[in-house]
Amino acid sequence: MIDAITVAVVKGALESICDEMDKHLIHAALSPIISETNDCAHGIYHPTTGETIAQGRFGLPVFMANMQFTVQTVIERARECGGFRPGDMWILNDPYVGGTHLNDVNLVTPVFVGDELLAVMANTGHLMDIGGGIPGGWIPGAVEIHEEGLLIPPVRLYDRGERNDAVLNLIIGNVRLPDMIYGDLMAMSGALKVGEERFRAVIARYGTNVIQACQDDMIERAERQMRSYIAEIPDGVYSATDHLDNDGIIDESREFRVEMTVSGDSMHLDFTGTSPACKGPINLSRNTSISSAYVALKHIFPDVPVNGGTFRPVTFTIPDGTVISAQYPSPVSGYLEVVGRVLDLVFGALVKAIPDRVPAPSFGTTGVVTVAGHHPHRNDYYVGVFPYPGGYGGTAQTDGQVHGTTPQSMANFMSLEVSEHRYPLRFDHFAMRDDSSGAGEHRGGVGTTYGFTAWSELTTSVLGDRVDHVPFGVNGGGDAAPNEVRFRTDGKEWVPPLRSKYQKLTLRPGDSVMVSSPGGAGFGDPLNRPVELVERDLNLGVISRSTAERTYAVVVAEETEAAGRSRFVLDRDATDAERERRRTNRTPGE
Amino acid sequence: MGSLVGVDVGGTFTDLAFSPDGVRIDSILKVPTTPDDPSRGVLDALRAARVDPAALDAILHGTTIATNAVIERTGARCALITTRGFRDVIELGRRDRLNLYGLSGVQQPLVERDDRWEVEERVDYRGEVLVPLDEDAVRALARHLHDSGIGVVVVSLLHSYANPAHEDRIREILLEVSPGWHVVTSSSVVTEYYEFERTSTAIVQGYLEPLVSRYADALTGKLADQGFGQQVLVMQSNGGVVPIDRLGSRAARIIRSGPAAGVIAAARLAAEVGFDKIITGDMGGTSFDVAVVVDGEPGVSETTQLDFRVPLRIPMIDVHTIGAGGGSIASVDRGGVLQVGPRSAGSDPGPVCFRRGGTEPTVTDANVVLGRINAGSPIGDDTGRPLDVEGARAALAALGKELGLGVEATAEAILAVVNTRMAGRMRLISVEQGHDPRMFALVAFGGAGPLHGSALLREVGLKTMLVPGHPGVLCAMGCIVADLCYDYSQTVERRVDQLVPGELAGLFAAQRRRGEAQLSADRVAHTRTEALHHADMAYLGQVHRLRVRVEPHWDAEELNKAFLTAYGKEFGTLLGDVPVLIVNARTSVRGVRRQAPEGGDVPVDRPVGRPVATRPVVFAGDWHDTPVYARADLLPGMRFDGPAIVEQADTTTVVEPDMSVWIDGRSNMQIEVRS
Repeated sequence: MIDAITVAVVKGALESICDEMDKHLIHAALSPIISETNDCAHGIYHPTTGETIAQGRFGLPVFMANMQFTVQTVIERARECGGFRPGDMWILNDPYVGGTHLNDVNLVTPVFVGDELLAVMANTGHLMDIGGGIPGGWIPGAVEIHEEGLLIPPVRLYDRGERNDAVLNLIIGNVRLPDMIYGDLMAMSGALKVGEERFRAVIARYGTNVIQACQDDMIERAERQMRSYIAEIPDGVYSATDHLDNDGIIDESREFRVEMTVSGDSMHLDFTGTSPACKGPINLSRNTSISSAYVALKHIFPDVPVNGGTFRPVTFTIPDGTVISAQYPSPVSGYLEVVGRVLDLVFGALVKAIPDRVPAPSFGTTGVVTVAGHHPHRNDYYVGVFPYPGGYGGTAQTDGQVHGTTPQSMANFMSLEVSEHRYPLRFDHFAMRDDSSGAGEHRGGVGTTYGFTAWSELTTSVLGDRVDHVPFGVNGGGDAAPNEVRFRTDGKEWVPPLRSKYQKLTLRPGDSVMVSSPGGAGFGDPLNRPVELVERDLNLGVISRSTAERTYAVVVAEETEAAGRSRFVLDRDATDAERERRRTNRTPGE
Repeated sequence: MGSLVGVDVGGTFTDLAFSPDGVRIDSILKVPTTPDDPSRGVLDALRAARVDPAALDAILHGTTIATNAVIERTGARCALITTRGFRDVIELGRRDRLNLYGLSGVQQPLVERDDRWEVEERVDYRGEVLVPLDEDAVRALARHLHDSGIGVVVVSLLHSYANPAHEDRIREILLEVSPGWHVVTSSSVVTEYYEFERTSTAIVQGYLEPLVSRYADALTGKLADQGFGQQVLVMQSNGGVVPIDRLGSRAARIIRSGPAAGVIAAARLAAEVGFDKIITGDMGGTSFDVAVVVDGEPGVSETTQLDFRVPLRIPMIDVHTIGAGGGSIASVDRGGVLQVGPRSAGSDPGPVCFRRGGTEPTVTDANVVLGRINAGSPIGDDTGRPLDVEGARAALAALGKELGLGVEATAEAILAVVNTRMAGRMRLISVEQGHDPRMFALVAFGGAGPLHGSALLREVGLKTMLVPGHPGVLCAMGCIVADLCYDYSQTVERRVDQLVPGELAGLFAAQRRRGEAQLSADRVAHTRTEALHHADMAYLGQVHRLRVRVEPHWDAEELNKAFLTAYGKEFGTLLGDVPVLIVNARTSVRGVRRQAPEGGDVPVDRPVGRPVATRPVVFAGDWHDTPVYARADLLPGMRFDGPAIVEQADTTTVVEPDMSVWIDGRSNMQIEVRS
């Protein structure tokens, strides 16, 4: 048993090494997706079990447990190939044994002191291109993984300190941006080397025995911490169901089911009943599904460290062949949309057990609107990406936030003025979407609505979801408004056949795209929302009078108009009476 | 330069430094801050220092009034006028959330939605008018706002940095309708793109303008009553000072100016004794502020988050803060791991040993129990009572029980954990800016900085720590030594190879002229004027920009070269043939006030005097009889080895057993690990 001071200090030192590796790569990467949206992760892993010891704070949540699975795969594979040797560094992007999608490439390296393997370090980085049918790696029409790019099984990129140029050349010979990909791979290996150097300094200071003991201890303590939270969840079986509208190819919805069993300080998640894999690329590998569930739990218990011990108390049943256990050769490039469903399933089940701690689902679509073409003034090729924004769900304590990023990401929406400099388009509006949040004692945050018009020809694609199956209210709260995508071409407005998915539409000058994202779902009975808050919502314009009267059962005493806006005064007594009447008339179970 | 006083109003204390000649510091002191009316604390400090305001040549002032007003939401109710379709930009922000983990983030926009209005108009990214301004609608709106009792109107239209005509016209119309209004246009505050950040900055300015103007008037009046007729200069967040009569219009620019002042002072002190790369570490009661200074130039951040979705896009000295201070609370988490901070006991109830009702052990309690702080003469305590060592021991014993540790071991564990956190932040800020932290010297200040500096030196692997003569009031000293400084920027957003020859030179010259005009209007004595030009540059397609030092007459080739050099230095690689973009042109115009102090040559060695006392202090698990020196007794040229404690009114310095101290020609303590 190692003493408490040493554990606390070594824990701080190891976490700080991971943070520094994050910062190194974010700084050195050429790919803007790493340097600007932090699409990467770095960690230190147990030398034999591959469990996470520590992971950096600046990488994206989506990689939370994936990294551990990737390391475990490599440990296994290395064992089959004669084991790790000092100076080895493995590379892989196989989503079926690592995680996410082909653009996320992982490097894994052992740390030896003498002959002794003390730890494994690994990172992941999103490369801008990985070959495949369309630049950038999002292939809406793909029906097998090979259309999505180069699949790299676990192989040595460095062999006892020597770079394996055969592997390196094979990779960069199969991508569209060879210089950038080369630079990013070198930046990634550089970050691991910096981390290893810092780690060695910590080992030199405390000694190998202490470091080994601390690593084991950190996992045990994290497990204890996670178990203490699970133990506070009432024992029971909690289930949730959700849907994807379609896979972008066939207009058929996909069902997602979870049954969560909490017993003492353990939790089991059983996804049996979830639909079979999609033909198109809206699939998730098993590891990423599990990682997504941990992301949901970490959002609810943010104090627990990203550590293998945190993952131990939660077990999974995910049958083969489902949309969340994609197997070769199912395509996976649309995985983020599915991550959103897994998160909402876990929130949806858990909110039934501990409503005080769990938010109602957020806007839930992880899609993007992209624009691409040649800029007529600058004569250069551009690709612009507008990620979906939307509202967060209400909680037991507060209303939901507006304009959130997805729970698994931290990517921002680009400045409108900067976009207008870079792309030949003009935004027509960018606003809070009135009346779009789920009603509730604490309502969701409203969604976002925006539109832009091209002034020179460009190509646009939209990937969204949550039109047919909206963010669902919890604890008596209401659903949010559906996602809405509209195009205007040649003066005519239309909705794409798959509602929120469309590939490569040519916009001519004057043509427009309009997107209105869902709000967050509501939490708690809207009849319990204090009258003054409903009055405020009305006066802020985030709900309409008809919603106020119909859903919140308020009675308007006075509506006046000034400067083109209505102001409302509600009748408290009449509202109380109306709400009482509604409560009595409710059929049981409603 | 004649006699000067620097007064820095902090959250807990108002610090004062008096200089008879603008160079030497003769006296320092701390009095409690008076939050209800901070100008009273300023007068208290002057009285306590027995400084006759009438005899002063200038008062240099740092204040948290603006920072506090934003945090506590006590600024003015404002109306916002935007381009039609965009009034919500300010609430939507850029798609983010409060914390990486946790999905509940409560937001409090400075202007609520029902005070946000839209008008018909549109300008494109090149500044060309697409839709003319509907002036009648503006007039009608102005009348409505006038009737509703609004006192401040902020105007922020898309692309106003490229063409401010519509914003300016709206201002005219508003003032015609209501001449008493404070009107702030976004292009008068920031001439750069990024609509959310520019609008937010304009709102912060409007939100603070009435309050800061009133404060400036009140302070000026009170000082005049005391016979003070000279200038009051106020510290800004860019590290420069501005005359108080201009303060209202600069309200957004004095936010977090105290920490900036500390960095300025630290940079000066270190440069004077030959250090060109420093990390400043300012540790107080609740937080640890870190900044990096290279070649005398502190790092500058272009945007600072004042609160969730309240960005301020004004060049500020880049100071990073973590919640680690003397008041940081130690606790044990559910996994049994010791945590220190970010929860803080603050100054009320404060550490257990302060006897103000604190029950949870803090970093200060750990320092007291280990003998590092002199319990007999606490800093900033006017009760005259010694610290409650037994109370602190009891609190630590309770915590230690959970960890299976004794009192001293628990206290050392607390220091080890908080030092690891601070060292981690120091390493990160240097790595973030592309530096190797081991090449830096640490300047430790604040009430608690010198207590922890030796440990940080060891943790980060730095060579030298500099402890200034008056580390507890360094921010007040920073006010004294600061220059006048005005920053200008303009979005260019053009490929370097597509610039029109002379275009950039013209822009820089105009910015310089504006600054010089401002300086001469200030009528503050300064020895010379300097203009520094920077360009924010990037490879085409990148969002991250680099601030590159440039000369106004440079052509495209020279600009390109400067960018590539800076890029290679920061990132270690170049991107090949990707075109280079110049995003913004920036000029910083300074009126240099300071005279170079004399002295500072390498002093002759001299023997250190006798310690004033010896007391037991714990280092690495054992009690050591440790000599205690009075700082006033330490003269240039003296050397001694640790372990040692150095005491002075404003702080305590801990020298670990394997370190040595040398007093340099400017009376700084230079502490190094003995080789």
